[in-house]
Amino acid sequence: MFFAFLRIMKKPDKKRIILLLRWTAIIVTSYLILLGRGKVADPNLSHLLVLGYLISNLILTFFPSSWFSNPRFFYPLVIADTGVVLLGMYLSEKMVTDFYLVFFLIIIFASMSRSFKLLMFIGAATAIIYGFLLYSWGLLISEHGSSYALRIPFIFIMTAFYGYLVQTLTREKRKELSISEDKYRGLFENANEGIIILKDPSLQIVDVNREAEKTIQYTKEELLGREIFDLFGAEENEKAKSYLNEIVEKGEGRVDNLPLRKRDGVFFEADLSIKRIGLGEESFFQMIFRDITEKRKLEKKIIESKRNLEAIFDGIRDQLSIQSPDFKILRVNKAVIEKHSTTFTGLIGKKCYEAYYQRTSPCEGCPLSVTLDTRQPASAILKFPETERVQEIFSYPVSDGKGNLLYLIEYVKDVTEEQRLQEQLIQSEKLAGIGILASGVAHEINNPLSGIIGMAEIALEEEDPSKNKDYLTDILTCGQRIGEIVNGLRSYSRTAKREELSVIDPHEILETSLKMVQLGIKSAPVEVIKNFQPGEKIKANPGEIQQVFTNLIANAFQAMNGKKGSLILSSRSLKDVMEIKVSDSGVGIPFKYLNQIFDPFFTTKRTGEGTGLGLNIVYRIVTKHEGTIEVESTEGIGTTFTIKFPKWRNEP
Amino acid sequence: MSKRVLIVDDEEVIRKFLKIHLNKLGYEVTEAEDGQKAIDRIGERKFDLIICDVMMPNKNGWEVVKEVKSNPKLDQIPIILLTAKNDDVDMFKGYELGANYYMTKPFTKDQLLYGLKLMFETAS
Repeated sequence: MFFAFLRIMKKPDKKRIILLLRWTAIIVTSYLILLGRGKVADPNLSHLLVLGYLISNLILTFFPSSWFSNPRFFYPLVIADTGVVLLGMYLSEKMVTDFYLVFFLIIIFASMSRSFKLLMFIGAATAIIYGFLLYSWGLLISEHGSSYALRIPFIFIMTAFYGYLVQTLTREKRKELSISEDKYRGLFENANEGIIILKDPSLQIVDVNREAEKTIQYTKEELLGREIFDLFGAEENEKAKSYLNEIVEKGEGRVDNLPLRKRDGVFFEADLSIKRIGLGEESFFQMIFRDITEKRKLEKKIIESKRNLEAIFDGIRDQLSIQSPDFKILRVNKAVIEKHSTTFTGLIGKKCYEAYYQRTSPCEGCPLSVTLDTRQPASAILKFPETERVQEIFSYPVSDGKGNLLYLIEYVKDVTEEQRLQEQLIQSEKLAGIGILASGVAHEINNPLSGIIGMAEIALEEEDPSKNKDYLTDILTCGQRIGEIVNGLRSYSRTAKREELSVIDPHEILETSLKMVQLGIKSAPVEVIKNFQPGEKIKANPGEIQQVFTNLIANAFQAMNGKKGSLILSSRSLKDVMEIKVSDSGVGIPFKYLNQIFDPFFTTKRTGEGTGLGLNIVYRIVTKHEGTIEVESTEGIGTTFTIKFPKWRNEP
Repeated sequence: MSKRVLIVDDEEVIRKFLKIHLNKLGYEVTEAEDGQKAIDRIGERKFDLIICDVMMPNKNGWEVVKEVKSNPKLDQIPIILLTAKNDDVDMFKGYELGANYYMTKPFTKDQLLYGLKLMFETAS
């Protein structure tokens, strides 16, 4: 049993120890009650007690080990056991006061003792002394000698029991404490901020964490005992002192941007936060500081980039504004303020149409309204009678990640001049077109004119009047031809104003254009195929549409370069649009040029032959009419231009 | 022997009045309505003068001049180019190719006579 006890002490399992100690207690108690004196105070109760004690220990054998570590189970068990032992003693006659005294002495020893070994020594010594006392009193050789003798090991066992109990409890308590201390030490050491613990009120350093060591480049040993003021520069010392004194008075406080000195003499700016903390009886200051050099740099960068953005925002000479979805102006750039000759405060918070144009509702055709509806960027060219300016307005949505519209960005470009130039350009291209046509027309007119002059001279000389009828018929035919040409020219040069839109049948214009172009290109043996689907009309400016068709047909003839070929003019009615195709079997456009042909001044023709504006004008006219134009071309096979115009619908 | 003149023009009325004038002057006239036909006629027989329009289908006047003047058997035949384009560039191009005279439409009978006189005097 003693060896088993030793083994258990080596490999302490709480459950096993307790059960072992209880078995010992049960045996001793049983012996005291049942065998000790031969007669007990209350036999029934005594037997019941021993039996209950025995059964309870059997039951405990089946309890999980973890329960014995749980104080809620462990303490009541110990109290109950103590009670049972005391009750056992009581029942075994009240004549054992010496035993009680020794027993309580053991408990006092156990609870006071810090060393288990010492306690065991005391327990053994007490048992021996008690045994010696019993022996010297002659009790061991009396009638109940064995019962007295049993008290000697019992005292030792009880010492061990209580000693172990106290040890276990204090060990656990200590473990708990050390765990929580480790935890706080870890927090302290691993904190991202430098932490220095200062004595109150001397402000001497008593502890620093790793981050503090790292930041100020001193080791803990070097810092301990020094005054915190040593860490401030001479210049800042007075200032720091007054700050810190104030904090000492108040118990806590913050100081921002205070320079601290590193070991190498370099200063860094730090934000300090100091608080008085109590640790047991003593009071300390906890100073948390953070090197804000990086933070400063970052702040500087942010300020700089903000300035840059503002400079860009204001530097843009077009008007830029940020508006809320209810048209309120939130931000504007300088251009807006200058254009509307107002002030920043005169615009912010007001609705744009009120602030700019004194209107009560959003301007008609405003792209911001479109963006509000569609959440998509939009643009429009608006003419403002108030300022007599034409402005191209772009509107862009700014949404949060969830698709809610936060702001609208309005970009306003004054295109008054541009519009005027464009109109001039279209007009001058038209004139250039007339110039190019003129030489063709001259040829066309000069031929019948030659006929008229030649035949008239012959008629004048002719003496046989019967022949004159033939000559006069020729003259008449030639005159009529000239008349036709002049009529065609007139329809070409008709200068329609940009705004004048009328409902037109594009086929008519296609025919006129074809006739006009054919006048100038006499020599081409080109077969013209017309494949029209008549009936649809478009709303357009007839002069401009003629310009489009004339340009495309003239290009087609030029592409066929006087060689045999075919020009196909076709039209189709699609769902919402009318499609018109101009195809030629000419040389085609090299692939690399296909995406450039609509660019202004792009030409592959020799200098003097083309302005490079023709197709650009075509493109602009088509898009102005909300149409589209596409080109397909294969070198050596031919080119097809496909134009789509919205159909005109007779709606009110 | 009367001189033979080839008139090349796609305009019927021009061929017609030229023929009347030239017949009256005693020339024998052959007509061709485009450049290709003119080359065909020139291959068939000998001409003393060619009056040729520039802008014509199939083969234009310049091509006719080029072919005639580059053929050593034919290059002595004087050629008058007629053109409806009164453009200096066109005129120089004609002379460069070897045309002997250049007349812009419309022209009068006197101008024609002057041209004919010029051609036949230099030729003989």
